[in-house]
Amino acid sequence: MSQTSTQTMQIGLRETTFVGKLRQRIARRTEGRAVALLAVVMVVVSFTQPLVFTAYPVSLGRIALIGLVALGLTAVILMGELDLSVASTLAVSGVVMALIPDVWMGIIVALGVGLVIGLINGFFVAVVGINSFIATLGMLFALRGLAFILSDEAPVRITNTDAGIAFGLPLLGPLTPRVLIFILAVIALQIFVSRVKAGREFFAVGGNRQAAYDAGIPVKRRIFTGFMISGFVASLAGVINTLERTAADPRAGQTVLLASFAAAIIGGNYLKGGRGSIVGTLIGATALGVLQVAFTLSGVQVPVQEIFIGLILLLAVTTDPANLRALMGSIRSVLQGRLKSPS
Amino acid sequence: MRRSRIGLASVGLFAVAGLTLAGCAAADEDTATDAADTTEESVVTGGETFEVYALLPQGNDQAYGTTYLPAMEAKATELGINLTITNSEYDGDKQASECEVAVAAQPDGIILWPAIADTIRPCLEAAQAAGIPVWVTNADVNPEDTELTYGYSGTDSYGQGAASAEIMCEIVDGADVGIIQINGVTGNSVATLRGNGFSETIAAQCPNVTILAEQPGDWVPDKSQIAASEMLTSVGIENVQGIYAADDSMIKGGIDALKARGLDPADFFITSIGGTFLGNPLVVSGELDGTIFQSSSWDGTNAVIGMHSVLTGEITSDDERVTLYMPNPKVTAANASDPEVAPEW
Repeated sequence: MSQTSTQTMQIGLRETTFVGKLRQRIARRTEGRAVALLAVVMVVVSFTQPLVFTAYPVSLGRIALIGLVALGLTAVILMGELDLSVASTLAVSGVVMALIPDVWMGIIVALGVGLVIGLINGFFVAVVGINSFIATLGMLFALRGLAFILSDEAPVRITNTDAGIAFGLPLLGPLTPRVLIFILAVIALQIFVSRVKAGREFFAVGGNRQAAYDAGIPVKRRIFTGFMISGFVASLAGVINTLERTAADPRAGQTVLLASFAAAIIGGNYLKGGRGSIVGTLIGATALGVLQVAFTLSGVQVPVQEIFIGLILLLAVTTDPANLRALMGSIRSVLQGRLKSPS
Repeated sequence: MRRSRIGLASVGLFAVAGLTLAGCAAADEDTATDAADTTEESVVTGGETFEVYALLPQGNDQAYGTTYLPAMEAKATELGINLTITNSEYDGDKQASECEVAVAAQPDGIILWPAIADTIRPCLEAAQAAGIPVWVTNADVNPEDTELTYGYSGTDSYGQGAASAEIMCEIVDGADVGIIQINGVTGNSVATLRGNGFSETIAAQCPNVTILAEQPGDWVPDKSQIAASEMLTSVGIENVQGIYAADDSMIKGGIDALKARGLDPADFFITSIGGTFLGNPLVVSGELDGTIFQSSSWDGTNAVIGMHSVLTGEITSDDERVTLYMPNPKVTAANASDPEVAPEW
């Protein structure tokens, strides 16, 4: 038996001290800006609207409302894709659930609908090769129309409204089922993208798709998986909304789409894929949710709220290390050019 | 380099935080100023001050809201009510979440304009459980939910549609005509009630009028023009002698669709709802045969008056639920310039 020696190339210095390892670990994370934003929001809100924290079950409910759909979106964004159909998926799933008299059967079928929608989105993107923006934009319109047809263009009340109202009540301490499901979804997705091989491969697919192909990663299967997660989570949100409101609205989710994208982006997820995290989305949704509750308590009107959220989004995008580096480079070259010019 | 990046990011974040703080502080200052003003006024009038949440589905983002809100705020100041106003943009889930926030804030009362009437019951139950009285404005809750509210002030949306149909029946005067119908946003309760009020009254009072086609115009003139144009094509322009739209901005779109085909709107039977800055001049010019006047200031003012009556004990939970419908006079060429139907929005 011949002896073999393995040679590895080391890129950069390997830190051995605790502080060095910690620094390296932090440098790899993408949630830094989201954490900074959350800290600022928490401090500001604790002075201006402390009720946000004393009435924390309400704040948690708002975070879960925004965050659940954002979690599913994150799975797709990590691969550099978009899913614009989540709001319509939420609406269709809710309507399907409300139309079925048996609550449990309704829930199962509605969740199945979400998976099928994800499967169709995945097919168009991975197999047909349509850009995910276009494919899911088409689905957005088609599903919205389907929700209107199925509901006969009017909200559909669930058969057992008492069960729906009971679903909205606290189940564990002050936590409602919505919040508990959201927490479970965060844990499950975090484990999936950080501990499960298929989930970790999402980063490779988003970071460099050709390299992922070359490395033998089943890229198409991963795209299918990502869209199915997104569809499933959106339909889960639709089911929860329908139960809590005791009716399904075919127009539901109109404000959820942008809020969910905002949460994912503020959370440090890179829209071109390859970088991001579920924890980041959680932090983004928390910052956004807390801010929204504070705005509601202050009676700040929607246009002003939109200005603030827009500014935060712009800041989140422009402070991305790559963008910041490009911006600094541009400023430096402009300054150098001026210094050299013989005026 | 890395430190400078982090530093710049932090400065940026603090800049936004500063703006946020300034915004919240400004809002608080406004509230504080309002409260101070109100207190002064209360001392004068000897009344109490009340904290009230107004959960609305629109605000300054829509024409109706821009004149509804000032009237509401003025009456609230007069009666010593500090209003915290939200705008759910007709998203039922968002309004439900705002309702949870409002209930947690434990105000003296809630004024509710339901975004989606079918999804509002959990909010009403939560308010009742917390002992917070609810007054409904503009669009009423479903009949089975009325027991959870103290009263309603606003439009009789079904009645408005019926009144517009009555004008149509009158001007058609027994002739066999075909018309097209432009509705509001699909699924919206006001749109549904107005549409039903119109079509059912037509069927009952003048079956000689046939509704050939109907499409949503989403309360928007441009979309209504497209919808009207498509309907004129699909049913054949020669078969259409009239148009009904669920509000004035949409009938403007319908009239423009006729003009775009070189047709004179005065040759058609046309009715609408609103009595607005857009609708009344059309009535005066003869392009629109009639519309139904709706006062946004009445709506905003009476929401506050109703809530105040509950808060001062004039209306109690033992009383029968109060329903206060806004007067909806018909606006035709005969009275379009009268001050009683002068447009507000």
